[in-house]
Amino acid sequence: MYVIKNGLLYTMDQQGVIQADLRIENGKITGIGKNLPIEGAHVIDAAGKIVTPGFVDPHSHIGGFGGNGEQDLNESTNPLTPEMDAYHGIDPNSTDFDYAIRQGITTSCLAPGSANVVGGWVFAYKSAGKDRVVKHPVALKGAMGINPKGVYSKKNQTPMTRMGIAHVMRGYLRKVKEYMDKKEAAAGDPEKMPAYDLGLEHGIPVLKKEIPMKIHSYMHDMMTVLEIAKEFDIYVTLDHANGSSDFYEELQDPHVKGVIFGPTSNSLFGGEGGKLDYWCLKGLEERGVPAAVMTDGPVSVQNMLIFEMGEAVRWGMDPVKALGMVTCTSAKIIGVEDRVGSLTVGKDADVLIWTKLPTEYTDAILETVLIDGEVVFQKEA
Amino acid sequence: MLIKNGRIHDGLGAVSEADLRLADGLIQQIGPGLTALEGEEVFDAAGMEILPGFVQAISNWGVNGGIQEIRPSSNDNDEKSNPIMPELDAFYAFNGRAATYQQLGAFGLTACGVTPTDNNLFGGTIAAFTIEGLNPYKMCLKRDVGMMASVTPNLKKAYGSRQVAPMTRMWIFANFADQLRKAAAYKCEEDKPVDEKLAALKRVVEGELPLFIACDSLIAIERVREITDAYPQLKLVLVNGFGLTGDEDWIVEKKIPLVVRTGTSLFDKSSLDLDLSAIVKLADKGALVAMSGSNGFGLNPREDLLWNGAEMMKLLHDSERVLQMITSAPAEVLGIADQTGSIREGLRADLVIWSANPMETYRAHIVRTYLGGQVIYQKGDEMKCM
Repeated sequence: MYVIKNGLLYTMDQQGVIQADLRIENGKITGIGKNLPIEGAHVIDAAGKIVTPGFVDPHSHIGGFGGNGEQDLNESTNPLTPEMDAYHGIDPNSTDFDYAIRQGITTSCLAPGSANVVGGWVFAYKSAGKDRVVKHPVALKGAMGINPKGVYSKKNQTPMTRMGIAHVMRGYLRKVKEYMDKKEAAAGDPEKMPAYDLGLEHGIPVLKKEIPMKIHSYMHDMMTVLEIAKEFDIYVTLDHANGSSDFYEELQDPHVKGVIFGPTSNSLFGGEGGKLDYWCLKGLEERGVPAAVMTDGPVSVQNMLIFEMGEAVRWGMDPVKALGMVTCTSAKIIGVEDRVGSLTVGKDADVLIWTKLPTEYTDAILETVLIDGEVVFQKEA
Repeated sequence: MLIKNGRIHDGLGAVSEADLRLADGLIQQIGPGLTALEGEEVFDAAGMEILPGFVQAISNWGVNGGIQEIRPSSNDNDEKSNPIMPELDAFYAFNGRAATYQQLGAFGLTACGVTPTDNNLFGGTIAAFTIEGLNPYKMCLKRDVGMMASVTPNLKKAYGSRQVAPMTRMWIFANFADQLRKAAAYKCEEDKPVDEKLAALKRVVEGELPLFIACDSLIAIERVREITDAYPQLKLVLVNGFGLTGDEDWIVEKKIPLVVRTGTSLFDKSSLDLDLSAIVKLADKGALVAMSGSNGFGLNPREDLLWNGAEMMKLLHDSERVLQMITSAPAEVLGIADQTGSIREGLRADLVIWSANPMETYRAHIVRTYLGGQVIYQKGDEMKCM
């Protein structure tokens, strides 16, 4: 049992910002309040410190790309690999997770890469601990634009174009629909059941709106995604989403579970990299569209999450709302808000202790990281 | 142009409340209570912070990105046809419109060094430019800033993967030593054609052109030290800083500047060996440290120096010292400190008015950016680059 004493808690739920103690037992937050009893507890003195939920990185590939150029999350041999599962591509012992912890990332949403139009299942995973899977699956990965184009152009295969990509994605979802309809019509009769197809099975929770499709999409590709989402009545998250400020009205759509922006470790490129509009984060937030930022690790370094929040603040966002982009909001977008993303009694004890508010002050230092109530990082004094 | 009532951070460590008069593209006068001349435009910067424009010592601004070529081809600072190309000049790689397109003034940057990539052992000379304009000759602040060299594994990737030399560290260091030795012995004889490679390297050995050398590890830095020790006039500039521990007092004693680059990607394992506290330790001993953004593949983030500043603030908690590392220090390394990189009378009016101190808070946004006395960006302009 731990009691974190007297910190300034950014709870990221309806409790707001409060000076209080936080009690942790059996990996969960079991109490928040003034003067909690400390008998039998390890006390962490957080007087003068900031306490926040652990960060939930809503789009990442850490642990899935090795140092020798291995790409265990990009099965770039077929534009449709819905049967893949990021769970099998991750090395739990990758040092990437240590870098993540040191930047406050306690949960990452780990997705197949964007080589394929449909890439496979996505899951949410802790950076440390015994039982690290938070939710599996959280989404089915999809990708528009330059990545699948780039991969399959070289092979002279469909899709070589954005036309091809829309066609391939729609074709897959249609097949899932047919497969699902046949299964339902069979009503459990093994004679009438269609042959088991793992790739189509992975699409069923999408069509049932139990999980979203998590789709790499920039700029005008987001509009294609929206058309497909409406046509099949599925949820989507728009990932990368540079250029969202051009489409505020369109993005206020019930099929959009959220916009996951970044990474921003780029300058302006041509094509889909042609717009880098930090200010869209404030714009989306004001319009009620859930918006978050990502590292896309290991594509960018793990401290990118803090810089992206910082830039959102520079472009007008309130620092507490910016913090929400990697805690309560990012957790909600990926569908793990019942476990993580806020300092709420009953939730996992994934807790960060800072010297200052990291979304406002450049010299805020992360001192302590707890995952499931265990200290996994402690800055040397 | 008169900028009144701002708080001036001069980039050299001092802060003062004063007014600034800009004329003919220069900072003409700094002082308290300056009165506007007849017809002079006045900007009230009360409550605002005035910083020098940031200077990025090593970059490829103006070289690639944004403005695409009609056909795909290699980037113009990446002549990977021969690892020994000291006779090249990065000046010719620079496209003013491509730099302008990035709208770097919106991120506080006003000057940059443009270098050959670190895919060649000797890549060619470095040039320094302002970040907005069309004509490279008018944008150029200095040519022959230094010679870009590299002993990183990037050479092995660029050439070894094509089954040509260099494939090993052995080749890299053998040729590094051999080229310098030949250059030192080289004499241009009247009846013979000039050996352009050796002539260029002779200027390095004689200290006329500083040698900017990118290293991926402490052992590479040590090897470079051993080999260059034979040439007392040679001026080293160490690029990257990966693997330094802070105990390398010889760097301080020999007054070797450090151009520190940070990682943007976990793919780049050598940049993960950068220990910023070691860099601070060397800076505390007196080393000149210029923070220079990411060692990224492709193009760097436009916010790079702001983010480098934030990382340094976590260690130094001294915004004026951190500011020096991204303004006057890189200007000194590039040899343009007499033109830009600090706020002093007589220098170019390359300065940025911020709503708060960006070294300290992410709330700070740019109100106005001046380049050579001209407003090139102001709040509300952010879409101009589109």
